[in-house]
Parts: sequence; structure tokens; C-alpha cells
Amino acid sequence: MNIKEYISSGIVESYVLGLASDQERIEFEKLCRQYPELVAARNEFELKLENQAFEQAIAPPVHLKEEVLGSVRPGAEDKVAPVVRIERSGNGRGWLRFVAAASILLLLATAWFAFDQYSKNRELKNSFSQLRLEVDSVNQILAKQKESMMDPKAAMVVSMVGTQPSSNSSANIYWDTASTNVFLVVKNLPKLPTEKQYQLWAFIDGKPVDLGLFDAEEDKVILKMKNTQKAEAFAITIENRGNGPVPGGPVETYGKTRL
Amino acid sequence: MNPREAYSESELVAALQQRSDKAFSYLYDNYSGALYGIIHSIITDTETANDVMQDVFVNIWKKIESYDPSKGRLFTWMLNVARNAAIDKIRSKGFRDSLKNQPLSENVDKTVGPSVNPSYQDVGLKKVIGKLKAEQRVLIDLSYFQGFTHEEIAKAMSIPLGTVKTRIRSALIQLRTLIQ
Repeated sequence: MNIKEYISSGIVESYVLGLASDQERIEFEKLCRQYPELVAARNEFELKLENQAFEQAIAPPVHLKEEVLGSVRPGAEDKVAPVVRIERSGNGRGWLRFVAAASILLLLATAWFAFDQYSKNRELKNSFSQLRLEVDSVNQILAKQKESMMDPKAAMVVSMVGTQPSSNSSANIYWDTASTNVFLVVKNLPKLPTEKQYQLWAFIDGKPVDLGLFDAEEDKVILKMKNTQKAEAFAITIENRGNGPVPGGPVETYGKTRL
Repeated sequence: MNPREAYSESELVAALQQRSDKAFSYLYDNYSGALYGIIHSIITDTETANDVMQDVFVNIWKKIESYDPSKGRLFTWMLNVARNAAIDKIRSKGFRDSLKNQPLSENVDKTVGPSVNPSYQDVGLKKVIGKLKAEQRVLIDLSYFQGFTHEEIAKAMSIPLGTVKTRIRSALIQLRTLIQ
């Protein structure tokens, strides 16, 4: 085996990032025991990754530390009842048996009670955080809608229709000329193979300008596209996924801003 | 911030394996930010990220015995624990259902559109990945951040499995030079 080639094949990164297959992982670990230079290469990438992660660290909310420490503190989770050893007693010690049996019952009852409380508490906690999530998201929605509210006087609706002979494609552009926001409402666009994407263009002085790529998986969804100050027309083309600022694919729909 | 000041890595691992509360608290203080960054590169919602963060530290605490220093650094191991927990979360049925139950916010998310401007600029590794070519970026995003297997990607994008593998490998080689 040419270990240099192996090291530069991307396997080191793949292994460290957890992207290697089981077979690749086993082979890698085996070779690490044979080749110190492989271990050195792994270590080097690990350190790079680690430093990068520390540079990009995000401070978690302060309250989280208490919660995290609390959940691993002895007895916080998986509380196991202590094992009670009961000596086998002779016939004359029936009372001890009784006490033992009673204490087991008591233990069981306590355990059940604790478990019941624990699950109830968890349920409450879950529904509380669910509610909080909902409140947050509603607040966010309100804030975003306020932000993106269009001035109706400045808004222009451009209806784009299919250009292919048999195309029923249609989409509307809501263009707020004051804020320059562009919203796209897909009314009917065929589903594309996964390697393809739709791309919206604004024609400015006869030249197409990229307003963003999108997938049309669900109809009647509002997409916020890139802003534009000017546009004589809008068009949607079918492009390869991740296409750049130059159109290459066929035009699916087209609509002029001023008739 | 150098986490290797008070404990050496092997001392820290030994102390954790002996269930030292102090070592765990130290681990949290020094590594939580880096791990939270990783989790946030996969999960944007703060509440969910917090839940995952808690799972991650509980998992570290529970599984520290299985950490084998001969296979890599402690941080690498924790990073993979964090990534796996985050991916399990986004791919879990509960999480997907919770998205379905929020039709309004789903629409609002669409209006700021991840599909319009893929938001790779965010944090951590994603920032680095933004520098890759689009086709490579998509593959790394699907495999590393969404947790799809090479087979699933090959099927979904209808490209041969071998091509997926070589493309991911070449993206990873570039990644090494991009991480400084």
C-alpha cells in the first residue's frame, strides 16, 4: 500500500468527520496501528478542526449549564433503588419476613410514585416548552410579516405564463417597487428532477439578472427572492442545481412588467 | 481559550471516567461553546439546539468509557457525538411532525427561503463549506449536515455511488486546505 497516496485520498478527513463507511473505518484504524505517519496526518486534521470549532464557538445560554449538570448529577436520572439484601430467616422469625415484605411493598410504592411524578413532570415540561416554542414562532411570524409587509400602492403584480407550447406553467411576481422586495408565488410549475432547479431572472436593460434559485415542491408557496430596483420583465428558467448568475436552461415562464 | 490548561486531555478523560463532577463541569465550561456551534450549524432553532446540547452532554457522561484515545482526540469524539445527536434529532419523526404542525412558521421560513439563498454563511464548518463549489457544497451539506448516507444521496440525485464518493472525497481534500 502506498501510504502517502492513501493519506492524501481524503480518507483522513472522511474518517475524522464521521463520514467513512464501516469498512473504511476498520481499515483506517488497522492502518493507523501500522503507519505512524497516518496517525500524524489524522492528528493534524483533528487539531485544525478543533481550532476551527473553538474559533466558531457560540456561547450557549447561561441557564443551560445548570440543566446539563443537573441531568448527570448522581440520582438525577435512572434512579436505581438500592438493593436490599434480606437474610433468609428461620421459622421463628416470621415478623422479620413481614417487615421485609412490607418494606418491599413500600419500596415498590415509592418507586411507582416517584416514577409517576417524574413522568408527569416531564409531560408538563414538554408541553410547556412546546407552548413556549409556539409563542416564539408566532412572535417571529408577526415580526417578519411586519418587516416584509408590502406597500400596496407601490406593489406591482406580474403574471408569468408558460412559454413552452404545451406548458400550463404559471407564477406570479409581487414586486414592491418602493422597498424593492420581490415575492414569487408559484401557481403551477412541474416538479423537477433533483439535479435541476428553477431560477428567477429580472430583465434589466435587456439583460437577465439572477434573482435566486428555488425548488417548486409545493404549490402556492410564497418565496422571497432577491431584491431588484429595476425590471422590464421577469422570467423563470430551468437550470442545473446551484446554477450561477448566467442563464443556460430553457425558459419556463415569462412576464413583462409593463404592457 | 485553551482547554488544555488545567487538565491535560488524558487527565481529563481519566477524571471523567472516574465520574468526577468537577471534571465534567470543567468539560462543560471549556467545550460547550465549540459543541454548541456544531449543533447550531445543523439545527437553527434555539430551543431544539438546547435540548440536543443536553442530550450530547448526557451522552458524553454516559459513554465516556467507550472513548478510545488511540482512535482520535477527545474533541473529535465529542464532535461526532454532537453531530450524531443533532442529525438524529432533525431526522426523528417527532421533530418532522413538529415542523408539520407549524404551517404558518413553515411558510415564513420559506419567505426568507433557505432554498432561495442557501444559508451556508452561518456558522462553524458551514462557513468554510461556503467556499466550495456548488456541487461539492450540496454533497457535503447532505452528507455531513443532513446525515444522508452516500447511497441515499446517489439515489436521490440519480448519480452513481462511485461518483458521489469521489466527489465527497475531493471536497474533503479541499476542505482540509480551507480550514486554517
